[in-house]
Formats: sequence, C-alpha cells, structure tokens
Amino acid sequence: MINVSLQSQAIQGQQMIVVGYGTQQKKNLTAAISSVSSDDIKNVHAGATVSTSLAGKISGLSFRQSEGRPGASAGIQIRNMGTPLYVIDGVEEDQGQFNNLSPNDIASISVLKDASAAIYGVRAANGVVVVTTKQGHLDTKPTVNIDTYIGWQNFTRYPNTTVTAYQWEKYAAEAQMNEYGSTNITPQELAKWKQGGQGYQSFNWADFIDNKNAPQSSVNFNVTGGSKTTNYYLSLTRLNQNAEFREYNFNRTNIQSNITSKIGDNLKVGINVNGRIEERIHPGVPGGDDYWEPLFSVMRNRPTSQPFANDNPKYLSDIGHDAENGGLWTFANSGKYQNDWRVLQTNLHAQYDFPLKGLSAKGLFSYYYANDYFTNHEFTYNAYTYSPSDSTYNRTGGSTNPWQERGQELITQTNLQGQLNYDNTFGKNTIGATFVTELYQRKDLYNWLHDVPAVNQLNIIRESTIDTYNDSNTPQGRVSYVGRVTYNYADTYYLEVAGREDASWEWPPNHRWGFFPSVSVGWRLTNEPFFTSLIGANSILSDLKLRASWGKLGSDVDQNGNQITDPFGYISGYNYGVGTVILNGQAVNSSQDRGEPVTNITWLISHTTDIGADFALWHGQVSGSIDYFYRKRTGLLGSASNVIIPNEVGYSLPLENLNSDAQMGGEFSISYQNQIGDFSYKLGGNVNYSRAMTLVTKFAKFGNSWDNYRNSPENRLAGIFWGYQVIGQFKSQKQINNYPVNIDGQGNKTLLPGDLIYKDVNGDGVINQYDERPIGYGSGQPDFYGGINIALKWRGLDFTADFSYDGMYSFNRNWESRWPFQNGGALLDQYTNSWHRANPYDLNSQWIPGKYPALRFNDSQHSDYNKNSTFWLINVRDFRVRTLEVGYTLPKKLTNRYKMGRIRIYLDTYNLFSIDNMPSYLDPAVASNNGLQYPQNKYVDVGINLTF
Amino acid sequence: MKKNYFFIILLIVLGSAGCKNTVDSYLNKKPTDILLSDQLWSDPSLVLSNLASLYDRVPEYQELDQYGNFADFDLAFPSAYGDYWRVQNQYYDYNNWQNWDYDYVRAINLFVQKDRLADKLDNSDKIRFLGEAQFLRANAYFDLVKRMGGVPLLLDTLQYDFNGDVASLQHARDPEASVYDFVISEFDSAANNLPKDPSIKARATWGAAMAMKSRAALYAASIAKYGATTPSVSLPNGIVGIPASKADHYYQIALDAAQKVINSNEYSLYMRYPNDLQKNFAQLFVDKNNNPEVIWVKDYKLKSRNEQFTVGNQPHSLTEDAATGGFLNPSLNLAESFEKLDNTFGPFKTDSAGNYVKYDNVGDIFKGRDARLGGTIMLPGSTFRGSSLDIWAGYILPQANDSIITGSDFGQQKVLPGQSVPSQVVGFDGPIDELEHSAQTGFYIRKFMDPTPGAGDIGTGSNVWWIRMRYAEVLLNAAESAFELGQKDLAAQYLNEVRARAGLTTPLTPDQVTFDRIVYNRKAEFAFEGQYFWDMKRWRLADKVWNGGTTDLTTLPGKADAPSTEMYGLWPYKIYDPGKSDNGKWIFKIVKPSAVTNAHQFRLGNYYSRIPDNVMANNPKLIQNPDQQ
Repeated sequence: MINVSLQSQAIQGQQMIVVGYGTQQKKNLTAAISSVSSDDIKNVHAGATVSTSLAGKISGLSFRQSEGRPGASAGIQIRNMGTPLYVIDGVEEDQGQFNNLSPNDIASISVLKDASAAIYGVRAANGVVVVTTKQGHLDTKPTVNIDTYIGWQNFTRYPNTTVTAYQWEKYAAEAQMNEYGSTNITPQELAKWKQGGQGYQSFNWADFIDNKNAPQSSVNFNVTGGSKTTNYYLSLTRLNQNAEFREYNFNRTNIQSNITSKIGDNLKVGINVNGRIEERIHPGVPGGDDYWEPLFSVMRNRPTSQPFANDNPKYLSDIGHDAENGGLWTFANSGKYQNDWRVLQTNLHAQYDFPLKGLSAKGLFSYYYANDYFTNHEFTYNAYTYSPSDSTYNRTGGSTNPWQERGQELITQTNLQGQLNYDNTFGKNTIGATFVTELYQRKDLYNWLHDVPAVNQLNIIRESTIDTYNDSNTPQGRVSYVGRVTYNYADTYYLEVAGREDASWEWPPNHRWGFFPSVSVGWRLTNEPFFTSLIGANSILSDLKLRASWGKLGSDVDQNGNQITDPFGYISGYNYGVGTVILNGQAVNSSQDRGEPVTNITWLISHTTDIGADFALWHGQVSGSIDYFYRKRTGLLGSASNVIIPNEVGYSLPLENLNSDAQMGGEFSISYQNQIGDFSYKLGGNVNYSRAMTLVTKFAKFGNSWDNYRNSPENRLAGIFWGYQVIGQFKSQKQINNYPVNIDGQGNKTLLPGDLIYKDVNGDGVINQYDERPIGYGSGQPDFYGGINIALKWRGLDFTADFSYDGMYSFNRNWESRWPFQNGGALLDQYTNSWHRANPYDLNSQWIPGKYPALRFNDSQHSDYNKNSTFWLINVRDFRVRTLEVGYTLPKKLTNRYKMGRIRIYLDTYNLFSIDNMPSYLDPAVASNNGLQYPQNKYVDVGINLTF
Repeated sequence: MKKNYFFIILLIVLGSAGCKNTVDSYLNKKPTDILLSDQLWSDPSLVLSNLASLYDRVPEYQELDQYGNFADFDLAFPSAYGDYWRVQNQYYDYNNWQNWDYDYVRAINLFVQKDRLADKLDNSDKIRFLGEAQFLRANAYFDLVKRMGGVPLLLDTLQYDFNGDVASLQHARDPEASVYDFVISEFDSAANNLPKDPSIKARATWGAAMAMKSRAALYAASIAKYGATTPSVSLPNGIVGIPASKADHYYQIALDAAQKVINSNEYSLYMRYPNDLQKNFAQLFVDKNNNPEVIWVKDYKLKSRNEQFTVGNQPHSLTEDAATGGFLNPSLNLAESFEKLDNTFGPFKTDSAGNYVKYDNVGDIFKGRDARLGGTIMLPGSTFRGSSLDIWAGYILPQANDSIITGSDFGQQKVLPGQSVPSQVVGFDGPIDELEHSAQTGFYIRKFMDPTPGAGDIGTGSNVWWIRMRYAEVLLNAAESAFELGQKDLAAQYLNEVRARAGLTTPLTPDQVTFDRIVYNRKAEFAFEGQYFWDMKRWRLADKVWNGGTTDLTTLPGKADAPSTEMYGLWPYKIYDPGKSDNGKWIFKIVKPSAVTNAHQFRLGNYYSRIPDNVMANNPKLIQNPDQQ
C-alpha cells in the first residue's frame, strides 16, 4: 500500500510499517495496510482532534466530519466497516483516547484493513488503526522542537436568514394569503415595517451569535535524544480552541513521555506515559445541547424581535421563547457548563533478547485511568418588555427553573501482554514466529445527579435539593492467545499464517472461547525470471507483487464498536431499579422479570478476503496499490422466526446468531515523486469505493410481495433511501384542477401553482406509500471517497495542497430547510425564490414562477413537505480543498548564526472552499436534516517550527 | 544476573497466560442489578418492588404523562407546532388506541403463579399481593376488551418448549361478553383479598376493585344496549358485540357494585371549599391530603418521580420555564357544554341582533354557569397561582369599521391611533392564531394544573396525581345504570348529588333525567380525565359526533349526538374608542384556529382497533376486527 510520505530520502520498500504486534518492511507486506507518518499530517490544522486531520489522506479510510464544534472529532471508518479498533503503542484504546492524542506526538498511523487486522481479534472486525508515538534514538544529541501556530476559524457555511423584519412580515402575509386566503398583516402594517422606527426595528440574529474569526492556537514543546543506553521523547502540548459563540471554549493539555533504557546486554525496559486534561467550558444554556441552542436561535428567532428590551443590555428582552434569546448566554446571566477529562495512560514494557539469535521475549503492562467530570448550572433569569408610554421595564418572561447537574465517569483499563518472537534468515529463507498472550479488562463506573439549586450564585450541591442520583458499573474482560508464523523465500514467495484463541466475558460461560485463523500469501512477479523476460529488461515496471489474504475473526462488538448483547443475558431473575413507582407516598424501586434466559449467543464472525497488488514503475518514482475486498459477517443476531410464536405468549424467543451481511469494494492509490535539481515534488492520490449489503435475514416474514419488496433487506445493498419522485411543479391552477392523480390525498384542494408533482409509479391515481422507490443512498459515511495530495519543495520554500472528494451519500433536507416559517420562526433566504402571486393580497393576480413551492406558514403537513422526495433529497457530491500551505525554511547560514537548528514559518488554510451540489447554506458534511449543526470550520493559520 | 532477567520475563509472559484464576477473573464478571427469583420471593419489600412495575405498566391512553392525546378529539386544541397534525387528519387510523400487550398479561400471570408458590412469605402478605395482581389482571383485560373487543383469555403463562409444536400456544379470541364476565368476576375476587382502607390510593383496595367493577359492567351494558345502533360493528360468536338482551344484566351489576361503594360510606365528594365551588372543583384534583373522593391514582412524588403536566400546560404569561407551556387549549365546543345555573344549555352570548354584546369585564360572559367550567378551564379573566391571565386578542376600533389592531407575538406593542408611543395590543397569553403556546382558542386548561411554585419548572415538576377512579364516577355510574334500568328516582338522586357540588343546586326531577343529561354530566365532570373518548365509544356516539362533516359550532350544546368535528375558540377584544363610554369594554368573536384544517371522522372500524398485522400473522386462530376495509 502506498505511503504518502514527504521524506524524499526514504527509499520505498525499506520503510518499516507497523503491523499487528510488530513491524514489517513495507516491501514484504502481504496485507492491505496503509499508513501515514507525522510528516503527512503535521501541516493539517483542521481541528482539535487527530481524526480531523485524516481527510483524503489514507487509502481506504472514509471521512466525514458532520460536527465542527471545538474539540469535535470526525467520523472515520476503514472501508466503511464501522468504528475501528484503536491500538496505541501496542495497547487497545478507545476512540476518545486516539482523538485526543497530541498530533505532534504521533510518529505514524497504520490502518490495517484486511485479515492483517485479524491478529488483533475480538474488537478488530471493523479494521484497526495502529498508532505509534515518537521515540528518541540512542546516541543522538538532545533536540528541542517548538511547533506553534495560531489560527482563525469561521463557519464554512451556515443557514442564511438575512431576511429583514419588513421582508419577514411581507412573506408571512404572502404565506398566510396562500394558505388561508386572508392575513392579519395589512398593507398599512407592512408600510410601517418598511419604514422602521420604534416597534418596527429589524434584527439579525445570525450576526448576533456569530463571533467571527474565533481563535485556535497550539504550542508544542518537545525534547528528544538519547545516550548510549537510554533514549527519550518528552513532550508538552497546549491547545486552545474557541467557538464562534462568545464564552464557548475547548482546551487541552497533553504530555507524552517515552523512555527506554538498556539495563543489561540483552534487556531493555521502558515506560510510555501519556496524559491529558481536556476541558469544555461554556455558558449553562437552558434546554438540551448547549451548542444547538445558539444555532437554533438563528432559525427560531424572527427578525422582528430584539435581544434586549429597548436596546438596553441590562434588560433581556422577552421574545416569547426566551431560552432562544442569545442575550442570555453568558456566564454571568445563565451559569456555566464544564466538562473535564483527566486521563493517564502508563505502559511499562520490557524486552529480552535471548542468546539464541532472533529469539526475544517482550512483556507489557498497561494501566489506563480516565476521569470524566461534568458540571452544569443553569440560572433562573428574567425577561422584560419595555413599556414606552411610562418608560418602564416589566418582567413578562424568563425562567424560574434552575438546573444543576453533576456527572462523573471513572474508567480504568488494565492490559497485560506477554510475547515471544523469533526472526531469522537462513540463506534465502526468512522465518518469523510470534506468540502472544493478552489479558484485557475495563471497568466503567458512572454516576449522575440532578439538583434544583436554591441560588444562582453558588455552584454547590447539598442533599436537600438533589432529586435524582443514578449510578452504574459496567465491566468488560477478554483473554487471548495469539500465534503467527511468517515465511519468505528470496523476497519472492511469502506466506503468513496466524491464529487466535479468544475468550470474551460477553458470551454465556459455555460459549466463551473461539478459535480464529487467518492466512496471507504474496508473490513478487518481478523476481521471477520468466516474468522479467516476458516484460523485457527495460520495462518501466520495476516491482510487482501480488498478494491475497483471508481471515476469520470472532467479534464481540457491532458496527459501532459497542457490545452486541447483554453479557448477563444467561442469568434469569429480575432487573432491579428499572423505574421508580410511587406507592402510598413512598418511592419504590421497581423490578421487572428478565424474561427467558439467553444461553446460546456467541461470536459474530467476520470473514475478510482481500486480493491486491503493489507495483512500482521507473524504479520507484511511481508506486501504487490496487485492492479488492469482501468482508462477510455471519452470526449477526436475529430471531428464529421459523418457529412462529403467537404474541399472546407474552415473550419473544431469544435472539440467535443467524444473519449475515457483507461489505465490499475496491481501492486504488498511486504516488509519484521526483526531484529535479533543487525542486522536488510528490503527487499522490487515492480512490475508494465500499458498500454494504445485507445477505441473509433468516426466517424474516413478510405479509405480502409489496412488504417483501419494500422491507426485505436480503441480498440488497444497504443504505438505500426511499422516497417519491418529483416529475415537475404545477404551472397553473388550471393544471391542478385537471390533474388526474390525487397528489395531496385531499383531491388536490390544498395545491397551488409551484407545488410538487409526484410520479404515480403504480398508476393507481393516488400518491401514497406504494409510490415510494429508491432515490438515494444512506446518510452516513460516503461510499465513494478519496483524496489528492500534492507537495512541492524548492530550496527553502515548500508548498502543500490536499484535496478530498466524497460521493454516494444522501442529505435529506427537512424541517427548516424544507418548509418556510418552521416553528413560526425566521425565514431562510432560499424561500424568497418561491412561486408567488404578482400581488400577494389579490388572490386573482397572476402567478410568477420561482424555484420553491408557493409559501405557506409553517405547514409541515402539506404534500410538498410531508414526503421525502427527489426535490428535497440531495445525493451529495463534494470536492473540497483541504490544506493549502506555504512554508519557508530560513537558510542554514542564517539559523546557524543564531545557534538554531531550523526555523520554518508557514501560512496555511483549511477548508477554504468546496465544489459540491449542496445549497449554499449547508456544509456538505452536515448530518442534521435541517442543517442545524455546528458545521466544519474554515481555518487560516500562521505558524512557526523551531529546532535547536 | 542474566538468568534473573530471563526468569522475570518468563514470569510475565507465562504468568499472565497460564494462571487459571487470573483468566477466570478477567472473564467472570458479576452483574450489579439482577435479583434472582429466590431472593425476590423471600422478601415482601422485593415482591412489592416487582408489583410496583406491574402498577407502572397499567395501560393508559390519555393521562398526565400523555397529555398530547387529550387534543385528539374536540375537547382541546394542541397549541404546539409539532402537534397540529392532531387537528389536520380527517381519519383516525384503524391502528389508533391499539393494545395487545400480552407481555404485561404474562408478567401478571407469572406474579400470580409465583405468589401462590411462595413459601417464605407471610400468608397475609401473599393474599394482599394476590388481590393486587388480580386487580391489575382484571384491569389489564378490561383495557384490552374496551380497545380490541374479545381477546384470548389467558390466565396461565405459556411456554414454548422448542419442540416445534406451536399449535398448543395458539388461542382464539374469546367472546367480548366472556372477557367482560371475567373482568367483573376477577374484580370481585380481588376485592375479597384486598384491604378495605380508603386512605390507600396508589395501591388496589376493596373500594377500587368495586368501583372498577361498576365501570366495567357499565361498559359491557352500554355496548349491549347501544351496539344495536351500529349492527355492522360485530363479529360472529360474539367475539365483538354483546347481545342487547344482556344489557339489563350488566346494568344491574354496575348498579350493585356502585351501591356497595356508596353504602360503605368510605368515600364522599370533595367539599373543602363550599363557598367557592369553582375553586373546590379545581382543588379536588390537586389536593392530596386525605382527599375523600379519590379512590385509585397513579401517584407522583417530588424528587422521586414527578409529572410535567403543569410544565407543559401552564399559561404563557405565567410560565416558570421559558421553553414550554400552554399546550392544551380547551375548545369552545367543550366550554359551551357546561350548563347554565338554570339547568339549561346554550352558547355564550356574543351577538345580539347583529351587534356585538359588550361586557364590562372580560370574565363576565362566563358568569352564571356550572362551576366546573371555571374549575376545568382557565378563562379570560381567570387567575392562576394568584396572578391574572392576560388573554385578549387585540383592540377593536368601532370608529374604523370595527377594524382590529393586534400583533403576531406575545404582548406585541403598536402605536394606537391618536397616540405617539407604542402600547400593548395583544395579550401575553395570546390568543394569536398559529402561535404555539398561546391560548389559540382563548382558553387554557385548569384541571390537574398544580399552582405550587416550581411545579412549572422542568427540573422540579409536579406531584399532582393522576386520578383513575373517584367517587363522583361511582355516583354517576350508579345514576346511569339506574336510569337505564328505569329507576329514575334513584338516577336523579345520584345525579343531583354530583350536580349540586357543581353549583347546579336546582335538582333535576326524575322525569328530567334523560340520556342527554347523563352524557353531558359525564362530559362536564370528567373532561380531561381520560373518560370522554371511551364513553363516546360505548354509547356508540363517536361516529355520530365525529362524523367528518364540516359544520359550524352547534347551537344545541346539550344534544348528545350533535356533531362536533372541528375545534372552535372564543376570542375577547378590547374596545378602543377613547372618550366614549364603550372604551375598554369587551366583545367576543367565535373563531376557528387556522391550524384546524380538517373535520374529524370516526369510522365504524374505529370502534375496535385493528389487531396489529404481525399479531395476526403469528396466530392463525385470530380474526380481524370489523369494518376496516
């Protein structure tokens, strides 16, 4: 697989690639593994987390960042197989730990896509991301690196509601005329709005919440080097990211300390310590998600309302739904939310090289301790109406509802590994063997309490005001024995065989253990005399290796990395504390019968096949890979409905390992690098396709053939969006009156010119569910994706450009982005381009065409809006400019004068623009149907790297 | 030295792998929240914990926790954008009001079985637990039969033994009458095992069982009698439908059971505020202190389990939580079905020979009516939590052709003619058409609304209980049964007792007791208590009152089968006529909220809900309910 590396001096093929429980030379890989090094991601400043830097970077890794709030992560998946397993410095970790590493500390990220992941077993069915952090080298002088940048962020896109108060009233009148034939908003009233003046002001809520050019900055300071016996890497990083809302902040401090020491001729011991403090702080906003509320206010608040009564910032204005009044959201007015993660990960490791050549033993003990503490205090507040006649402020709204909560989560994880390795070469035969035992356990303690505080001033909680306390204790445990043998003859024939014996706490005691083998082979054709004579001595093809792998692994996690079943399902009895019931004034914790015990559930089995080739042309100037893959999962849970139990029995039969699905696709990647004098350049790209299919849903029952067609997923691609096909818009009332098909289910009496015409697929004269057909894709990861990476260097100047592209996923416009005046709130700009009458007040005046149907006032039930259709669905195609960076390294002469090793300054941007088919107010990666989501940011950064 | 290191490493490698105890400790995790059956059935407090979940699963359709459903008919308009569909669908889906919760039936049957076998419990505990389970089982089947018609009557738990034979698990539907017979006898059995203690409200008692028995028998009786008006609503073998000949039999059971409760003198009508009957009626629902009228409730407790009815329905101007409130807007249809104090029905007087009727005070129009009007509905001019509501739709200008000045937001301000600065032109409670949380009908709900400070806070909520059975119903069940049995004296006696409490102090004579009176007393007494819809069904009035026709508001609000398919409101306007005597007086307009776009139609197939398709598919012995094509 291709490694998009900027180290022009690195000779392709001799590079070491991290594989399961070890490393391998890249040229000897028989597996589908791609990787990036620190050089590839160091110039990406796309957010606070590691995943955000990977768009388009790694072949086979799909990327979608729907959420862009400070500290947010991107959704990354390997071949769209689901949430991958993360292995950091040899230890299985969760996604949060991966994302919140300091990018500066990462040496490489390898992505194990095929049976090579099987070596990690139980949780590896969705692929494995293997991360190694930086190490020092023996016998090197201490080097100090400082890497710092500051950047400014703005939303890529956000819904436009620049409609003024006058326009709002005008379009509202139009909508009401269209819908009811009458309106309270008279032309005289409109004239006053047009004129403005007291009581008729206009306000832009989008500008009010959007604190543009929000800063993000990062400073990394590290020291690395080594003596004859000890090498070290010590690092400290501080990142600070503000949101585009006032007083919203994310910040993180990371430390990494990797030290290894030789304490005998054959013995090395070391310790890796990774720690972080991660804080999210913002005002305590009433309602649900505190980032959602400001975004919502933009769509919810009419431009006719104001944040402050009489424009006096001392008096919050009563706008009728005061939780959305952004004037409230400050620490002083509404309280404070804070969520802190404090994490310490410590790995102790030792390696002993036996006197026998090639034989070594390793041991690893790892302990992870994470504490998530969260506190939220929402104040009571008043909202006022100003009375101009007597110049008073009257409290007419607000909230007397105080809210306080605290949550704590404590996660501990222990990992023990013992490993024996043997590697040796006898003539042309190279043999390797690895044996690993691994024990893993994790405990998750959680508690949460809610309190109704008596005061705004203090963030203290006492028993008298607490009304809810919940806690839980969730354990996990796994034990594995792993063996692997590799054989290579003359770098031409490769064979690798591996197997695991796994046990998981998740299964009933009698089903806990399973054995899972995998195998891969490789054949370097360009080492075969018959092949070289076939292509000729001067062929441009310098290297060609065919490879194939197959593996089977038992998984105890689903697509999302969550456990599949209740690990205590085999125990019958009663669940205690399922609810609280008040009986005679006493609160009773209720308990409920657990139903039939489940004793038969066991491993979900993932079968991975990969066939690929690695090639190089012109002696490595061009190199690339191509892969086809197929992952089949069997043992997905389903109910055995071949036996039909009447519902009256009162319970359903336990689930069984019955169903299967597949994920299939292909990848191609290529890179080209060269140097002409002082000018070196490198171009790389990858293109990927991966789609899921449901294979068997055993014994699924369907009432009739339509039901079967509509609802059976069997042997059908997953991620199909069903909806109605719009074949046009009505052009006149006459056309509506004569239209033979009943579009709205009410004889078309609710239709107006401009309304959507649905295709009557089954020709029964009425539009209903039977006219739904596949019109799009799933709403998750793109099924088609890739990236292009360009790096140029000329003397001190360097230039980087990254692009990514995505397709084959759907965005279903709904709510605010589908119908006007949703919630009676603001009006999106798009609706100003609607079908309308020349004179809205005259029902007989002529219709003027527009893009959208004639306005209605918040009429979500209308046939235009209550159906998913091709009019609102967007099958997204997105080509996005990611990183653009120009850097300049000061000449050595200059830096030497100041006793500096290296000084580089740079200017970069991220997400500058994208070319896509989404409306101008929706970021193509946003997942929320109304666009009500914090989008990705556009960044502009300046930074400096210093080495001395 | 070398050797030592070697051994240390070997220990790590093999130690972690080999030790069986270590491996076991990694794999054998213990749950923290599972009680084994033996543990539970040897401790009465744990048995109660299981019983509590059975109480918690009592099926409800409209209740404090599901108040949105109160807006499905013609009692109230849903003032929330997301709920307008309730007044925009013409048809009720055949799947509405479905219940096939045999998981719950099984859980109760399992409880009965285990209770009978329990040998570590005191006998008195066992008997009371059994009585409670029987009470819940009777109630569960009552709920099934009233929604679905006859259902398979299963009193033991069924078990599949994995031998492939499912025929023994397939049971056909029992006749509707047989299910009612079981319900009636099971309430009787329960009563024998239950304590006779009126202070117990949230657990089953003798009184609750008897009162529920009277309700169940009354339902069976009215289906027998009024089912004759909808002959197609039936299935062969009485699976749906009860023979008219059985009507008197069931009415007699209903009357007897109700009279047992009445004659036990354990309960009485709530009368703590005899001088303010409107307040008295409102307090009946929120006063939890030895309330003599309340027989069976679903209870709440602050800090343990609250309900959010007050949060969701509090007037906008008095809201304690900025995000919610004002959901249920009782309809004018309901408001005008409260009688005048002279025992006659009639609309509110808004018009006199083509002119608006002018009132000095906004509340005057509602004077002289059944105290339950103000006790059930917050009207313009009402107070809540000690503060006045602000319900008015705008100014009307007689000098300018009765034109209206109003606003599109709560308490909006505009410049009135002849003034220089803006002033308020619409109430902080609305009514504003198409503005959620505003009183779009001109009314908010009062029944079950908790005036305690904090009850309107999401974080605090209310502990007001949901009353499932109260003494007034026992009286009205007795009155109705007696009326149907031709015992009009008795009927008048019980009916007058309830009416007097509502301020209707002129007693009805036995001859004045008509079916319409029975219907309207129950509607006025039990609005928003989850009775109205089921009453309309058992009287077979539902298809007549919600007939799908678009009609004006009826002018005969006392007629039981007058159509009422769309919800109307009554909006007060303040006269703006400076210097004139009418300035500041009030007029009223009858309006239909714009969101009401369809007339409700209850089809014959709605009388019994559709049995879910998967239920039908899983048991070939079931037959589907009638009139659903």
